[in-house]
Amino acid sequence: MIVMVGGILMILQYFIPHQISQTIFAYYTDWTPIILAFALVLGVGSLTRIHSHKIRRKAKNWQYSYAVLIPLFGMPILAHILPQSLGGGMDSPSIFHFFFMHVQVSIQATMFSLLAFYIASAAFRAFRAKSALATVLLLAAVIVMLGQVPVGELLGKWLPETGLWILRYPNLAAKRAIMLGVGFGMLATNLKIIFGVERNWLGGAGK
Amino acid sequence: MRKNWIVVPALMILLLLPALSVAQGVDEILTPAAEEQLEEPDSWLDAPGAVTVQDKDNDAGDQLLVSFEQPLYTDGIFAYNVYRRIVGEENWNLVKVIPADDPREFIDGYDPEYPIEPGVLYEYRIASVTVDGEEYFGPVCEAGAVSAGEIYHTGKTRVLIASILFIVLIFYYFGKAQRGIKMYMRPIAGIEAIDEAIGRATEMGKPILYVPGISSIADVATIASLTILGRVAKKIAQYQTPLIVPNRDPIVFTVAEEVVKQAYLEAGRPDAFDPDSVFFLTTSQFAYVAGVNGIMMREKPATNFYLGMFYAESLLLAETGSLSGAIQIAGTDAVTQLPFFITTCDYTLIGEELYAASAYLGREPKQIGALKGQDACKAIIMGFITLALVFGIIDVVANTHILDWLRDLVASPIME
Amino acid sequence: MLNIDRRWIFLGIGIVSIVPFFINFGLPVTTTMEVESIFDYVNELGPDNAIFISFDFAPGTQAENMPMAVGVMRHAFHNDVPVFMTANYPLHHGMMLAAMEYVFNPTTVGFYQEVFFDDWRDLREAGVTGKYELIEAWENQGNQLPDGAMGWVFEGRDYAALGYAPVFNLVILGMTVSIETQYPVDAHGNSTGEMPMLREHKSLREIDLALTSSGSGACVWWVTYAREKIGLPIAFGLTAVMATDYFPYLQSGQVIGQMGGLRGAAEYEVLLTENGITPTTDKAFTGMDVQSAAHILIILLIIMGNIAFFAGGFHKKTLLKGGS
Repeated sequence: MIVMVGGILMILQYFIPHQISQTIFAYYTDWTPIILAFALVLGVGSLTRIHSHKIRRKAKNWQYSYAVLIPLFGMPILAHILPQSLGGGMDSPSIFHFFFMHVQVSIQATMFSLLAFYIASAAFRAFRAKSALATVLLLAAVIVMLGQVPVGELLGKWLPETGLWILRYPNLAAKRAIMLGVGFGMLATNLKIIFGVERNWLGGAGK
Repeated sequence: MRKNWIVVPALMILLLLPALSVAQGVDEILTPAAEEQLEEPDSWLDAPGAVTVQDKDNDAGDQLLVSFEQPLYTDGIFAYNVYRRIVGEENWNLVKVIPADDPREFIDGYDPEYPIEPGVLYEYRIASVTVDGEEYFGPVCEAGAVSAGEIYHTGKTRVLIASILFIVLIFYYFGKAQRGIKMYMRPIAGIEAIDEAIGRATEMGKPILYVPGISSIADVATIASLTILGRVAKKIAQYQTPLIVPNRDPIVFTVAEEVVKQAYLEAGRPDAFDPDSVFFLTTSQFAYVAGVNGIMMREKPATNFYLGMFYAESLLLAETGSLSGAIQIAGTDAVTQLPFFITTCDYTLIGEELYAASAYLGREPKQIGALKGQDACKAIIMGFITLALVFGIIDVVANTHILDWLRDLVASPIME
Repeated sequence: MLNIDRRWIFLGIGIVSIVPFFINFGLPVTTTMEVESIFDYVNELGPDNAIFISFDFAPGTQAENMPMAVGVMRHAFHNDVPVFMTANYPLHHGMMLAAMEYVFNPTTVGFYQEVFFDDWRDLREAGVTGKYELIEAWENQGNQLPDGAMGWVFEGRDYAALGYAPVFNLVILGMTVSIETQYPVDAHGNSTGEMPMLREHKSLREIDLALTSSGSGACVWWVTYAREKIGLPIAFGLTAVMATDYFPYLQSGQVIGQMGGLRGAAEYEVLLTENGITPTTDKAFTGMDVQSAAHILIILLIIMGNIAFFAGGFHKKTLLKGGS
């Protein structure tokens, strides 16, 4: 009922510019970050509970749970509680900043760069000219890949131009079609949620 | 007769007079020496004229449409200062500075420091500002209207029409499905393979990994994924196959846990539900991927489901799953990640097929009705696109502007 | 060959990624219309305008997104265009700080010398807030521009590091009315109400461009909540994977231009160097050599895989027919 009333209210609010409507919307936007903040409490609580159980029960790989819990509580303490004279704070130079820039940034960049290797192995395995369509895909991929790098221009001006043409026309058309389909899917799913047809997001309470 | 010949010279004088004054003006322009001999213009010549104020349509009562008359003498004017005050108050507030080249009609109320209150009567005064910073004030003009909020935004009528049309279509097909009318759904390989994939894992005695995406519960793809999780979990409960559901979002984790628990209950095996099978990993994207990859390499699941919203980690997940030898079924509306899933997974649900999956699996009338409603909406859009294509060709051939007119009608931005 | 161990492929990628850092090929990069339109737009702006740069990317995509944001930032500083910087996620706030550190670092070629908000408080309180009079007054106080610096940038006059605010899509919506209500203080704790650039540009209606350097779909929030509501011009800086998906926005005119991937960032660096805005190209341009080598290797692998695939197929057909 709350979702239905709230959903219909927000739909109507979009079409009503009156100040009362804007006040309701402003009220909603003020409450959203407050509610979302509780998700953080939920997440931290859940993570702490799971890993502290693992440590207590000495479950498999329980030592790594310390690697989760120590930074989880350590970083906020370093950023907000430790005084600046002792290396606290978020800005450089601080311990938090050091760990962020030299540990977290490096680790995340490393994980992302794994993609380069995985793309190569996926491309080797997947780009086979098994059928006419697969061959078209293969040729388009090669042209676009060569067109995107300076080497392609050295091989011939037509390569980057053709690659750009593929991006600007057939690719655009296909992406737009998928976007439209996804958009209508979202519309239908949201309507199902608002009118109570779809209740799985409530978990057990939906039954 | 006498009157007639008097009229002719009178008419001639009347016609000559303006010509004489224009000639005088031309002489003044053409004779630089004469220009220099002109006296300094009076300040009233530099000052703007009367101000006209109207209520702006389609607002919350916090905007006014203001226009003013240009001064007679505009040389040397750098900008116009717009002053405003409530009628009866003393202090003027500078609410806007308009460069001399900008239009003299503008919307007042955008300055957050000096908002316009609905129902309040204001006075305006415009001053011309020279390069030296001198101001020449125009007359004080009381606004001809007060600002009032509108109940309905007329600029959004086409959005309303489209929304009503699409909503009505979806509900029409809801009703049609509920009346028991059979509606055709084309088979989707990925959805039909779900049963086979679950059976494979059961035979091999290995777990099933279900990744419900990495987005929040607010994402429609996550909701679609959790719906499918419920149905998949029910089948898994019947076969008693181990299930692993790692989550990235704490709220999604809570909902997923409830969904799986409920599924086991509905399958008649509540005792078989393992609370540790659904768990929260981390909110960090790549830490989550590293965790899931570790699970795949250690537990060696026979079947991997990747259903929901994914970002850059999709290839990392799918490639590792491929290494572990699992059968993989993916589904996402993230168009960016579809190519990676298509190349690495056995079956992929593309875009809205993910939303359709819950209708396929459950075969509930309302779900199927919603699916057909979506298709009807898409048919209308396809009709529009075809029309636009035809009109575009006609415009080129016949040198008309039908497509531009249609574009302005349908696609012009709605400014607030 | 069809079942080649993946590790050989990984080794090959590793080698072609590392070698170009030691052997600089310096292959030329030609610019495209999509990037040129952003460059031309920013080039037209001046001290009376203002732009937003939104750091909507995580450390994972910084190789592609950071050069885009840094390039536009340096372009804006060169033209004395005030820059507001935001981030849509706590992690991305760190990227904003990293970008500023890089641009203001004396070891960076063509760096800018930053002046903190508190350091020029006396001039601000004396009413000296215009850019050129501020530089004159600052230098009259005995401050000298360091060697190698391209110019002074004053916090609150030339840039404001607003940083992260929760539920960023609603923050964008709120900024269409007032920036100060969404950010009463900036990332360094300075009151935004006292900043001259905020006195002159109170809401997004008075901003001339928002560049979102994004590694996720959050770039669309700017289009939905700013472009469609108040007509704010938007430019995209996207990862290569995402760039193909957002061409529809470019074609419909909802964004003025798009930098796609490392290539897009390299094109912008080339434009900056050709127009004398930066002395040299930067990391993105260097990275194009690596990208060229990696793309060629992947294409070679694809060709090898297809040769092996067809050779294996023909071989099987020959066997079935009784051949040797």
